[in-house]
Amino acid sequence: MLLRTDGVTKKFGSMYALKDIDINIEAGEIHGLVGENGAGKSTLIKILTGVYHLDEGSMIWEGKKVELSHPMDSHRLGINVIHQDRNLIPSFNGIENIYLGLDYEKTGIRVNWGKMQEKVEKLIEELGISVSLNKPASSLTPPEKTLLEMIRAMMTECKLLILDEPTASLTDKEAQILFKTVLRLKNKGTSILYVTHRLDEIFQLTDRITVFKNGQRVKTLETKHTDKDGLISLMTDNWTRENYDNKRDKGEVVLSVRNITSRDQKVKDASFEVHAGEILGLFGLGGSGRTELLECIYGLRSMERGCIQIDQQEVKISNPAQAIKSGMVLICEDRRGMALVGGLSVKDNILLSNIDQYAQKGILNEKREIDDANAKIKSLSIKTTGYKQPVIELSGGNQQKVVFAKALMTNPKIFLCDEPTQAVDVKTRAEIHKLLEEKAKEGNAVVFVSSDLKEVLEIADSVQIIAAGRTRDCLVNHNLAGEKVLQCCYVE
Amino acid sequence: MNKRINATNVFRTYGTIIAGVIIIIMFSILRPQSFATISNAINITRQISLLVVISIGATLIMAVEEFDLSIGAMASLGGVLAAKLSVNGIPVIFALLIALAICFIIGYVNGYIVTKFKVLSFITTLAMGTIIGGFTFWFTGGSTVFENIPKGFTFLGTKTVLSLPLLSIIMLLLTILFWFIMRHTVFGRKLYAIGGNEVAAQVSGLNVKMNKNLAFALCGSMAALTGMLTASRLGSAHPTGGDGFFLSAYAAVFLGRTVFKEGVPTIWGTFIGAAILGILANGLTILQIPTFMQDILTGMIIITAVVVQKMGANKHE
Repeated sequence: MLLRTDGVTKKFGSMYALKDIDINIEAGEIHGLVGENGAGKSTLIKILTGVYHLDEGSMIWEGKKVELSHPMDSHRLGINVIHQDRNLIPSFNGIENIYLGLDYEKTGIRVNWGKMQEKVEKLIEELGISVSLNKPASSLTPPEKTLLEMIRAMMTECKLLILDEPTASLTDKEAQILFKTVLRLKNKGTSILYVTHRLDEIFQLTDRITVFKNGQRVKTLETKHTDKDGLISLMTDNWTRENYDNKRDKGEVVLSVRNITSRDQKVKDASFEVHAGEILGLFGLGGSGRTELLECIYGLRSMERGCIQIDQQEVKISNPAQAIKSGMVLICEDRRGMALVGGLSVKDNILLSNIDQYAQKGILNEKREIDDANAKIKSLSIKTTGYKQPVIELSGGNQQKVVFAKALMTNPKIFLCDEPTQAVDVKTRAEIHKLLEEKAKEGNAVVFVSSDLKEVLEIADSVQIIAAGRTRDCLVNHNLAGEKVLQCCYVE
Repeated sequence: MNKRINATNVFRTYGTIIAGVIIIIMFSILRPQSFATISNAINITRQISLLVVISIGATLIMAVEEFDLSIGAMASLGGVLAAKLSVNGIPVIFALLIALAICFIIGYVNGYIVTKFKVLSFITTLAMGTIIGGFTFWFTGGSTVFENIPKGFTFLGTKTVLSLPLLSIIMLLLTILFWFIMRHTVFGRKLYAIGGNEVAAQVSGLNVKMNKNLAFALCGSMAALTGMLTASRLGSAHPTGGDGFFLSAYAAVFLGRTVFKEGVPTIWGTFIGAAILGILANGLTILQIPTFMQDILTGMIIITAVVVQKMGANKHE
């Protein structure tokens, strides 16, 4: 056995990211790791590569207990990871990139490029990979870049190679090239931990599969003894919404989105509509284009084509100011980066979107500002030392309430919410749900994006599936099972 | 133990002002006869007035987290334009206004290039400064404009009111005006929001581009005004007469950022920053310290102030 973990646990604050994880990886096997968003896959990778330090439990490497406190430690053991966002320097050629972090071959003080090239070429031949070493990384195709990283990983003795969503940006044909190399590495005796959302690949490549859910290991199975449906049912709680009694009346279509394609092709031909009084869940796996779709609608991302209608009227929206004027508001996923001005006060942040209304001939009426800001602080029960406090000093949940306070100031009728409860406490999460339900009840339309499927099923009236930038089925959330939603996501 | 922490906190919050006061006390003890006099205090206000005016413009640009490297060249151009126009018989007030308008437009173009094409302001304004310098040289043939300058042209730069230099009064009025703009108007609020987080400002529906362009235009105008006041004070306009302001202006703004604990550029902060630089120059000159020594000391003080503040900011995180 190459690697075994015993009761590995990792906490962030009071939240368990991983709880009591026991896995084992045999020498020379391809081990698949699957699970929903937030199941703990990335946390495990970070622990195995020494980025995070585990809180409890232990790691046994080749029969010996090891402590990893730095990425260098795991590298020394022979653990390498290849992330989906590749780690190459664009202007460097293949040799230079492969030798990043390795000692250069030298004669005297002069770098011996010839010897380095020889070494790399020898390895490439062994691995049976073909990739151009003399071109700069920026001009390589996506699979070539991945292959280059794999060569780099194999330059030192690599016993465990972790592949994190290696095919995320590859076409099917490109992925096949990668698979061939993966299988060849396996035959050479390297173990591979293969993490992906794409279940087809799991079945094509792996020997065994471990399923994670909510930070815990559900099961480890032999690949040949399971199928896709069985796997999906392990990944999700079979959870349906219970109290469906506070049903709202669905009115006219408020927002209708037709055939949106973004200029960067992250969103392709996406369509959906939301009615007055409706909360539409927009669910997709990581990288499905859900955030990008909202950004297109809100005028933050350029569209190649597509049509947006509000109250059956076509609108042209090319920037957020126009979106706000048309009655929309976007709650961004990236709270600190895109929603709040950290250095400004709570008051200034709340009033940022409608600040013009507080001025006469450009001069601000500070008394009205303070009154209105205080009213919002009170009605949303934002915990702060006062309206003057810089918003950066607030807790995550209270910061998010400030974001909502700002959103409410413009009286929107369409709420586009991207992960609105991410990294907020349980109480605030419930408050945000209640607020959105109230807003829907008042006849507004809400689009709710969350990578937490359970949360989507908890709050949404219907669930629009998005995968690979395209909108798929739209399911009514009535006795809707999480399994059904995931199946729609995993259909190739 | 507790007391000690408080002392460091006080120093971090008011360090720059404390340092300024120490400098004043030091000079007063060393040269009570020549430094610590009312006439020297008035003298200092006139000496810093031009620096304060150009630094106000630089404060606006720094508030939106951009840079304008063309302000020195812009000041030279403003002075030369106003002087040339008045020499050619245009009434002084119109000469000043025309020069101001031209520099407003050039500043706006700076902003337009930066916001429209997303070019670094550093590069844009560096190139624009070079272009402006070239034009200024062309207008003047490289020589100082001093012949036939009408008497009215030197009014602003040399007149005193109740023994206060008119320049000092202009400086004070402009400082109050721009403090009001930055603190109490929508425009000021928007500039700080953009500087604090440009993306968030845009997502919140602010017209980031237009407000930034205006900041560039105002920055250019203030630089031009500085150049005109310089020319008015000297009674002549040199084609590179404003270039020297450029570095001191940013020194004043950076020093000013350290005055208040928020660490953002503010008008009064900049004023205090410019005042400290002015007092330092004045006192060191009275002490007959050579200019090169003054430069070394000034540079060291600025670095110390900025480092102390950064240490405070890091602790905050």
